[in-house]
Amino acid sequence: MSRVFITGVGVVSSIGLGRSAFFASLEAGRSGITPVTSFDAEPLGRTFAGEVRGFVPTDHLTRKEARLMGRCSQMAVAGARMATRDAGLDDASLAGPRTAVVLGTTMADADMLELMDHAFIVDGERAVRPPWVPRFAPSLLPIHVARAFGAEGMTLTLPAACAAGNYAMGFAADLIRGGRADVVITGASELLQKLQYAGFVRLQAMAPERCQPFDLNRQGIILGEGAGILVLESEARAVRRGARPLAEMGGVGMTCDGHHITRPHPEAEGSVDAMRQAIARSGIGPERIDFVNAHGTGTRANDVAETKVMQRVFGERRVPISSMKSMLGHCMGAASALEAIGCVFTLETGIYPPTIAYETPDPECDVALVANVAQRGPHDVVLNNSLAFGGYNSVVCLARPGVLPG
Amino acid sequence: MRPRPITGWAVASALGPTLPDFLRGLREGTPLRSRPRPPSQALPKERWPETLAFEIPGFDPSETLGDKGLRSLDRLTKLLVVAARAALADAGIKRDGEFVAHSPESAGLVASNAYGSLEAIDELHRVATLEDARYINPSRFPNTVSNTASGYVSIWEGLRALNVTVSSGNPGGLDAVLVADTHLSARRAACVVTGGAEAMSEALYVGWRKVGMPTTVPLAEGAALFVLEDADMATARGARVRAHVLGHGAAFGQPEGHALFGTSTSALARAIAQALEDAATDARDVDLVLAGMGGFSAYDEIELSGITRVLGPDVAVAAPKRLLGETFGAAAALSMAAALAWIGEEMPVPLVRGRLAGRPRRVLVTELGFYGNASAVLLGAP
Repeated sequence: MSRVFITGVGVVSSIGLGRSAFFASLEAGRSGITPVTSFDAEPLGRTFAGEVRGFVPTDHLTRKEARLMGRCSQMAVAGARMATRDAGLDDASLAGPRTAVVLGTTMADADMLELMDHAFIVDGERAVRPPWVPRFAPSLLPIHVARAFGAEGMTLTLPAACAAGNYAMGFAADLIRGGRADVVITGASELLQKLQYAGFVRLQAMAPERCQPFDLNRQGIILGEGAGILVLESEARAVRRGARPLAEMGGVGMTCDGHHITRPHPEAEGSVDAMRQAIARSGIGPERIDFVNAHGTGTRANDVAETKVMQRVFGERRVPISSMKSMLGHCMGAASALEAIGCVFTLETGIYPPTIAYETPDPECDVALVANVAQRGPHDVVLNNSLAFGGYNSVVCLARPGVLPG
Repeated sequence: MRPRPITGWAVASALGPTLPDFLRGLREGTPLRSRPRPPSQALPKERWPETLAFEIPGFDPSETLGDKGLRSLDRLTKLLVVAARAALADAGIKRDGEFVAHSPESAGLVASNAYGSLEAIDELHRVATLEDARYINPSRFPNTVSNTASGYVSIWEGLRALNVTVSSGNPGGLDAVLVADTHLSARRAACVVTGGAEAMSEALYVGWRKVGMPTTVPLAEGAALFVLEDADMATARGARVRAHVLGHGAAFGQPEGHALFGTSTSALARAIAQALEDAATDARDVDLVLAGMGGFSAYDEIELSGITRVLGPDVAVAAPKRLLGETFGAAAALSMAAALAWIGEEMPVPLVRGRLAGRPRRVLVTELGFYGNASAVLLGAP
């Protein structure tokens, strides 16, 4: 398997804009969960979210660019600009057919669709303005990014719900390994929207104020938003330009439960298989895994299932695990991309980000949780675990450059 | 790309809900706009008393799936599940609901849709706007997520290998083939059901009217799915190969004047060239091009010019959407189905350019997105 490196990351999140702020918050265990301001959530009976504050699109985009996009794309383009800068790439070096863009999301610029739907429902067809229509399409998300850099390779959206970031990164690495691209801007983006918020409240999946993964008294998810963008490059290109690789893409495991549309399989069969695949495809055994960045939603079903995965994959060995959703909330389509960047943080620094708001151990969630305070530990190889609606299971293995067998 | 065998297929289209309906409709060759419009199931009659778009006539998922468990499914999901079941049966992988070849753990799905379930989103927006967001139906909420339809296929058909939804607009069906082939090559699955589906909905219809829907290609819906397999395993089990996927190409180019809504000759030309290179073949080997040509003259001219740039002015070109309608995320998959039909059986091919001598053996399917992306897939006779 030829090597694929992560050479840059960009972050738009509730705990920081840009890599430095994000990493500092991960280390400090800072919460980005605050009262929702972008819509009136009060009547829904839940009012907290990991909302991105202080993001000014025109700090990163031209006014013309910003006008053409919804918030999800704005965050993706901003994240991409941060990531390419972090990778030391100028726009000219990304222009052309060898740069592809593969992004994940749940519904991309759903705010544009909401605008049209609202006009149609309230005032009828005549109220829907024609210029609005082309601004909603999930396929537009990577296209906005490609336009920003003059990229001319494949553009692809993988709407894999809450596992979308892992799906996008996995396919991006495949594109490079298959020789179809030299560099891929990948990751995922998602905006906080009232319809989704209401939907999770109606599913009785939303916690009141805090997300407490693996805690006995956990009450569910807290929604979030943001974008996590990564630059992936072939080893040949990275070496040629003297890039500083941040991490190496290892194997990717993907399965589908085929069990229930929103709940994980109670015995986590598919999730166990996905994790074993990711490890085996990296050419290593489970004993090499130093840390697992959990899906860790804070729902009863997820955290119990994920515990079973850890126990079945690692046996007696208690591999440290932590959920960034305790800080960020559940950023849906963007979640696993942001968590992958959290993995990069761990690989670079040796710091495992904490699961904050953890109070009471749950006997059904007997894992080696990094509780409340960041820990230091071995950091050669980590896993990014992610599940999603549709019974999706995906695991991406990430490693310090050169650690995995070639 | 190593030639990838297609061992099964299924189509539900404006020509009818089954593959035989599709083949019969192609043989007739009647432009869709000249066919009678079937009664609408998807557009609310109180707002749209006239039938204005081409839905799948006589589509009744309960005939295939039974009545149980359908209530919470949206139209996109029903289309996809029905088509997947038929494709797996056609490939001889499942019989009477059981796997007779491969296994659930080695069978996956990669399916395109362009807009997800606008029906479900619109339904929930309507409740939230006219009543209260607290009253939205939680059992319908998962349908608002674009990959839910694919997820339901895995539940109904027991596909436990990877499950991927692809969204790249109209070329999605072609890009799904690349994604499926990539996962097969990486041995993440031994067989993958792939293609695309798009369901009629009020939001889709209104949006299409607002951008000035073309007259030559009516709005429609459909699903076309194909079973791609590991070549050695297909041979070992004696699977019937309908065609091979030989190459894929995809590219993006800024539309002229940097407009958001537009397309690019150079992107299509690069996608075609890439597909030929991927297949280790050249332009002379292409007998027929099935172009997206959705009836917007500016797009159609650019598509023809991109085809001409790589394949020359004499290559035969057909425009299947004139027979099948504009179906967005299903469009390219339906064009692939037309390619399989015309590779497999002697029947008239309604050309818009060039001449075709006999049955084509190598067919290039091209499709443009609305924003500058383009894809191409080369198919070959077995």
